[in-house]
Amino acid sequence: MTEKPIKAAGICKTYKGFLGSSATVLHDISLEIEEGEIFGLLGPNGSGKTTLISIFSTLIFPERGSLSILGMDARRHNKEIRKFINISTAKPNFPWSLTVRENLRYYGMLYGLHGSALSRTVEDQMDAFELGEFRDMKFENLSTGLKQRLSLAKAMLNQPRLLFLDEPTTGLDPDISIKTRMLIKRIHQEQNISVVLSTHYMPEAEMLCDRIAFLRKGRIVAMDTPRNLKRHLGLGERIVVTYEGSVDIAALQGLPGVLAIKSERDRLEIVIDRVEDSLDRIVKLFCAARILNITVREPDLEDVFLELAR
Amino acid sequence: MNWQGELNKYLASAYKNWLISRRNVFTLFELFFWPMISLLSIGLLTRFLKVDSSMVSFLLVGAIALTILQVAQIDVAYVLLFDMWSKSIKNTFIAPINSYHLVFGAMLFGILRGSVVFFILAMVSRYLFGFNFQDGGLLPLLIFLAGVFSTAAVIGITVCISILTFGQKADVAAWSLSGMILLISGIYYPVEVLPQLLQTLARAIPLTYFLEYYRSVFIPGPHNLAIGVFLAVFYLVLGLILLDGAIERARRTGILLRLSE
Repeated sequence: MTEKPIKAAGICKTYKGFLGSSATVLHDISLEIEEGEIFGLLGPNGSGKTTLISIFSTLIFPERGSLSILGMDARRHNKEIRKFINISTAKPNFPWSLTVRENLRYYGMLYGLHGSALSRTVEDQMDAFELGEFRDMKFENLSTGLKQRLSLAKAMLNQPRLLFLDEPTTGLDPDISIKTRMLIKRIHQEQNISVVLSTHYMPEAEMLCDRIAFLRKGRIVAMDTPRNLKRHLGLGERIVVTYEGSVDIAALQGLPGVLAIKSERDRLEIVIDRVEDSLDRIVKLFCAARILNITVREPDLEDVFLELAR
Repeated sequence: MNWQGELNKYLASAYKNWLISRRNVFTLFELFFWPMISLLSIGLLTRFLKVDSSMVSFLLVGAIALTILQVAQIDVAYVLLFDMWSKSIKNTFIAPINSYHLVFGAMLFGILRGSVVFFILAMVSRYLFGFNFQDGGLLPLLIFLAGVFSTAAVIGITVCISILTFGQKADVAAWSLSGMILLISGIYYPVEVLPQLLQTLARAIPLTYFLEYYRSVFIPGPHNLAIGVFLAVFYLVLGLILLDGAIERARRTGILLRLSE
């Protein structure tokens, strides 16, 4: 199969209120996702990530624009598309009084699984997501982390070719978040499926995503690999120096490659485009002072996010 | 997909409704308490009024029809109500299913529950009030029950459409539509006693015709079963088409997401 998992052009979405009010939440979204990649949607709350993922997963339809999922028109062939996709959402919800096993059986039946194949798939997913010992526990009694694992297990019942993960680690404890990310990485590697993941956690996007689109107020403001995003935005590396004594800050600002300086009493943060070209000259300007500590940090997606969200 | 997979898509809703119902103690109220209250109150009223046996059959047929209609229609409505209450509607509509998978699966369970209630009420009416449903013969009884269940399915579908169109607040429709049926389709009195406008409405409800048909087995009188059958089939098909339209609209307006939040 060579079709791109997602081809979107000019997607717009407006929610209309009862009294004629309306709010446009997505403007002219165009992107393509490659087979087998993990594509991240990043952005602050309210930037349109969930709406976009809901459109891609055919849960809702866009107002305008063309959308092809796995080579099929998302509007006309939405029922056919749903055989090959699945979704796991933030704060997952399932029928409360059904147990883990019953929930998986029920959703498996909705996907047309039957007989021994249904039983085997349910068992396999419970094993894969370490839910076996909680199989007879009702959904309402599961911890947040277990609910998330159940949601991921449900999302894999039909062995999707395209998986949507909408903020899969929101509200989870840090250790469970890390475990969930490892689980997502493992699913992706083992099954080579295409994944669209929305998140506002930078380390998550950096760890998992091959490419990222930053959304702000319903528009894509940047889209590239994490590495290229950092490079193209010219965020530079950060040298943080803690010192005693005096430093000629004006001279520091005049050094080639220095992009910005933030000064606080005995601490300087220097943003510089290439550390290796200027580090020795910077250190020389501290000759009248005593350096207590010096660190060099590459920009991370957090910096990209802050820059783009401005 | 083979036929077993397709069949399981239908059975999924019945499976879910069964699991939820069996863990809910209030199911006993739906299945036994309210049906018994309804039947006993009407049965005792017939004794107090000292009505003849034909009038007893008229009233008990109406009381039992209303009760099993309420049980079966709520099962169809539950297919979305349970999802709405647990905010899991997104997970259902991401699956490759059609409206008829949900409706017929839930209806299957509704028929099962309705049949249990009917059996119990038929026994009670026989031993306490001397009215035996078997006296009318098996075929008329099956036709009558089919009419009640198909009307219940239409009401359940209407509730589902309301939920998908108007959101959470529409679940009140689940409880009030059968009240309308009680008023106008001749449950406790012939529709001829209604004002003309309500009579016209009553003639648009299939249950009216099925009640007249089944009562005519015990009290000879005119009936028009063919119209009842036609209306039941017509409304079922129309209901499924409109439900598909409501799902399509819910995907357009985003209400599917709001029902999951």
